[in-house]
Amino acid sequence: MTEATNETVCGAIRDALRMIIDPELGRNIVDLGLIYDVSVDDGGIAHVTMTTTTRGCPASEYLKEAVRNCVWYVPGVEYAEVRLTYEPAWTPEMMAN
Amino acid sequence: MPGATLSRWTMSYFAAACLFLVIGQGIMVAGYGYPFADVDAPETLALVHVLAIGWLGLLMVGALLQFVPVLVAAPLRGGRLALPVLLLLVSGLLLLVGGFGTMADLGELSPAMLPLGALLLVTGFGLAAAMLAATLVAARPLPLPARFVGLGLLALVATVLIGAVFALVLSGTVASDFATTLLIHGVPSHAALGLGGWLTLTAVGVSYRLLPMFMLAPEEARGTSRLVWWAGSAALALVVGRITWLVLDDSAAQGPLAFAALLAGIATLLYCADVIRLFRERRRKAVELNIRASYAAFVALFLSVVLFIVPGARAAAGEGGAALVYLFVFGWLTGLGLAQLYKIVPFLTWLECYGSVLGRVAVPRVQDLVRERRSSLWFCLYYGAVAAATGALFAESALWFRAALLLQLIATVGLIAELVRARMLSSVAEPLRFPIGAPRPHLFLPIARQQE
Repeated sequence: MTEATNETVCGAIRDALRMIIDPELGRNIVDLGLIYDVSVDDGGIAHVTMTTTTRGCPASEYLKEAVRNCVWYVPGVEYAEVRLTYEPAWTPEMMAN
Repeated sequence: MPGATLSRWTMSYFAAACLFLVIGQGIMVAGYGYPFADVDAPETLALVHVLAIGWLGLLMVGALLQFVPVLVAAPLRGGRLALPVLLLLVSGLLLLVGGFGTMADLGELSPAMLPLGALLLVTGFGLAAAMLAATLVAARPLPLPARFVGLGLLALVATVLIGAVFALVLSGTVASDFATTLLIHGVPSHAALGLGGWLTLTAVGVSYRLLPMFMLAPEEARGTSRLVWWAGSAALALVVGRITWLVLDDSAAQGPLAFAALLAGIATLLYCADVIRLFRERRRKAVELNIRASYAAFVALFLSVVLFIVPGARAAAGEGGAALVYLFVFGWLTGLGLAQLYKIVPFLTWLECYGSVLGRVAVPRVQDLVRERRSSLWFCLYYGAVAAATGALFAESALWFRAALLLQLIATVGLIAELVRARMLSSVAEPLRFPIGAPRPHLFLPIARQQE
């Protein structure tokens, strides 16, 4: 995969992730700033680093699983690896206006 | 996963708690307990424990099973004990109430009910405290909200042990001088430890985490919040110290209790300042109904504690400051409990039903599971009725008290009906209500094992 193709797939992944909402806030997780990083390597393996609004939230595992499922179906992705992190912790300032 | 999953039996705790709340208020509307009987009459004792253990105790234990893991971002220890604890608490309470019935000569009831009920309650609350304390201990160092819960659990253990001694004396099982002295002089300490220590300190701790979560307010612990913890700890130590003093000297003065009340007043003022600050600093401008209803409960907390410290107001509030205790139990503890249930029940229902299909199909928001306009009327009626009932107790008008209670009961049933509608997803628009692959939640029985 070329660098340009990787960028295209990353953009497609971010677009796809907009269908996932944070259940409490009702906004999609991309605009909320919960997706910290998206990358795709040459083998089509997508790496997503994400967080949740609250550490220890019961919704965390569901959101992580939803992201994995969603990314897997993006054309150009062969495998999806999702990492949940709280470094740095999410703050409301990370939301898109 | 670091953190919390869904607590399997929390919804069953909530359902049992709501049932006892309706029963308790129904008993009062029917004219049982204070002010239709003395504060220490068996009927009043039965009523008080239906509300304190059946409603508030089950509500708090059920909520903590879900939220202690959230507070410390670690899994619950001993989660398999949740169902046995629920059964122990419910059966212990029923026996305890039966025991009070024996004292009131209500039919042919066994005198063994009171001590047996106490034994089951000590076992049930002891196991619950052990599960939650083990979870907290494993997650040290604890954030401030969790430290409040730790303090509340200590108060719970003290409350239950003192109550067990009372049950042994009242049933005639034990006749030692110490136990009798404790019964004669220790009832205010028992009530203060239960309502102020266990239920209030725990609620305060959980609110320090939930309010910033729901309002998107800054989560860092402030100096005032730490002072609330220290004042609460000192007040708790004074109450426990006085009980110990009673063991050594049965003429123990009321001084420590008065000083503990003063500390509780200071803690209340600081806590109210904290919740006002959180509201002002929130990033989420739209304020949902659960938050608005919680702030009404904070007003009740402020009024009941501050007026309790003023000697003239307490004297005017009836036997043992009954009107202010009523405002504390129904305005503060019950008001906050109902307000938080209004958020927690839809939130857990959403996770149960839509969590597993998130990312595959379109799903509603948590807020789509409720209808705020109708529910806000129920909350207005509820708080209005609590205010009227408190006023009627001040005015010593049993008739008006009963009328206000009836409205309070109607509002409570209305709010519980809204919770049932949320569980049944009745308010969710049809295309989103039952997506393919989404499990349908049961009304109050546990979720599927694989989601535990």
